[in-house]
Amino acid sequence: MKRRVVLVDDHSLFLAGVRAELGDAVEIVGEAGSVTDAVPLIKELDPDVVLLDVHLADGTGDTIINAVSPERPGVRFLALSVSDAAEDVISVIRAGARGYVTKTISGDELAAAIDRVAAGDAVFSPRLAGFVLDAFRAGEHVGGDAEVDELTPREREVLQLIARGYMYKEIAARLSISVKTVESHVSSVLRKLQLSTRHELTRWATQHRLV
Amino acid sequence: MPLPAFAPRAEGRVIAGVCAGIAQALDVDVTLVRLVFALLALAGGAGILLYLALWAYATWKAKWLWAALVLAAGVLLLHAVGLSERAVAGIALVAVGLAFAWRDGGKFRLDTPLSYGGLAVAAAGAVLLLGGEGGTTALLAPGAVAGALLLIAGPWLWRLALERDAERAARIRTEERSEVAARVHDSVLQTLALIQRHSSEPRRVAALARRQERELRGWLYEDRPLGDDEASLVAALSAAAADVEELHGVRVELASAGDCAIDDESGALVLAAREAMTNAAKFSGADEIDVYAEVSGDAISVFVRDRGSGFDRSAVPTDRRGLTESIERRLERAGGRAAVLTAPGEGTEVELHLPRRQA
Repeated sequence: MKRRVVLVDDHSLFLAGVRAELGDAVEIVGEAGSVTDAVPLIKELDPDVVLLDVHLADGTGDTIINAVSPERPGVRFLALSVSDAAEDVISVIRAGARGYVTKTISGDELAAAIDRVAAGDAVFSPRLAGFVLDAFRAGEHVGGDAEVDELTPREREVLQLIARGYMYKEIAARLSISVKTVESHVSSVLRKLQLSTRHELTRWATQHRLV
Repeated sequence: MPLPAFAPRAEGRVIAGVCAGIAQALDVDVTLVRLVFALLALAGGAGILLYLALWAYATWKAKWLWAALVLAAGVLLLHAVGLSERAVAGIALVAVGLAFAWRDGGKFRLDTPLSYGGLAVAAAGAVLLLGGEGGTTALLAPGAVAGALLLIAGPWLWRLALERDAERAARIRTEERSEVAARVHDSVLQTLALIQRHSSEPRRVAALARRQERELRGWLYEDRPLGDDEASLVAALSAAAADVEELHGVRVELASAGDCAIDDESGALVLAAREAMTNAAKFSGADEIDVYAEVSGDAISVFVRDRGSGFDRSAVPTDRRGLTESIERRLERAGGRAAVLTAPGEGTEVELHLPRRQA
């Protein structure tokens, strides 16, 4: 069954491009260009996945997630961003987005990412993986809850391969594990990213910008 | 400053509920409020007028009636306290004059005759007030005049200062805007013109767009923690990636964790990485190259990866020195090592490792 997708982006040119690239891979059921339009539309359509631009003319993506999620917990969000500040990307992830990819992603990869997010898994771009590795630097104990404030060596390995441009199945082959295991490592990192109180995360985000 | 909302209260009222209303608005005991009104009422009936004034204010919202009643109450109160009639009249005139001059919430408007009229009335009041005190005039006059001037001119000067600030902000905005315009003209508009001229060459258009994107991002977000191209490893890699993109029409995705300053050794690492990117762009046939740089406390690692054709190392002719000379030897001289992971059809990954000197 095709995934039902809503696109939220305030650049109509880009919307047209995504529509053309995705083609028949998914069913695009709606489009919105602003926070005000997007919230009621998503609530009404109840899609599988919302492709969300981080920055909109009248607000940021996390506002939409916060407004929709309580009523429509089944809707998953995938942040799609061209050159946003790390703090914005982190805020949509922290609000509950299941992943972040850059707008230069190819149509096939985007369709795969949508599938993955719809199935409840997480999707990281190489840059986001680099950022997470930097923010969760090894050996720097910051106190707090080690369960969510530290990455395991395996998670670190997986993230490093994502940053190096490996796809999930390539990572699985290289580490001799299943794709499912790779997915569960990435989901676990996403959960840590959402729950960690590591102040490093906030400090890093305000100092750096993801491009 | 918002005043506490006041409305007469029917609940617990004796006359019109004014005291109860004030007590609620100010959150004090109603008996205390009644006591104050009773005391004021003893002062020539001022309390009664004040009571009526508040009632009128709350019931009809009639500003003029309210103001007049408050004024009358004030006059009665001052008279009861023991000031001479002359002094009371003077103070009343000053109050009325200033009220006219500053009406509409403290805006002193030089363009309305009412403001001048108010000033004149206030001045007459001041003369009346000071003239009546005979012997003390000499002492009182300078201070009183200065005070009066300050009261009258204060709000006007304040507004003048605010306007000047607004003008300065507008000027700064204009300057900023023209700087942005100049910048956009030098970069974006030039690139767009180039793209139009080369619109039949997709690779060239893509390379131009990509380079412009990088430049614009670098300028907008200043995401290089250590500043300019020479100073930081990630910035230098980014510049190398941009060059390779432009020369060979491929896309280079750069991700990084951590950054450090450039020295001779890490400079050699950047050159080796650049060579690896160039090789990937020239020989692999892939149109995208992934580069990842990781800086930890004791080492720098850079990975250059493509999903292209790959190759068999033993089949590479020995006269093609790029890989051996420009990457492996260069890095060995800098104290690091390089590893190449490839096989025909599997793509290629070049790993560059360099231990960091402990500072």
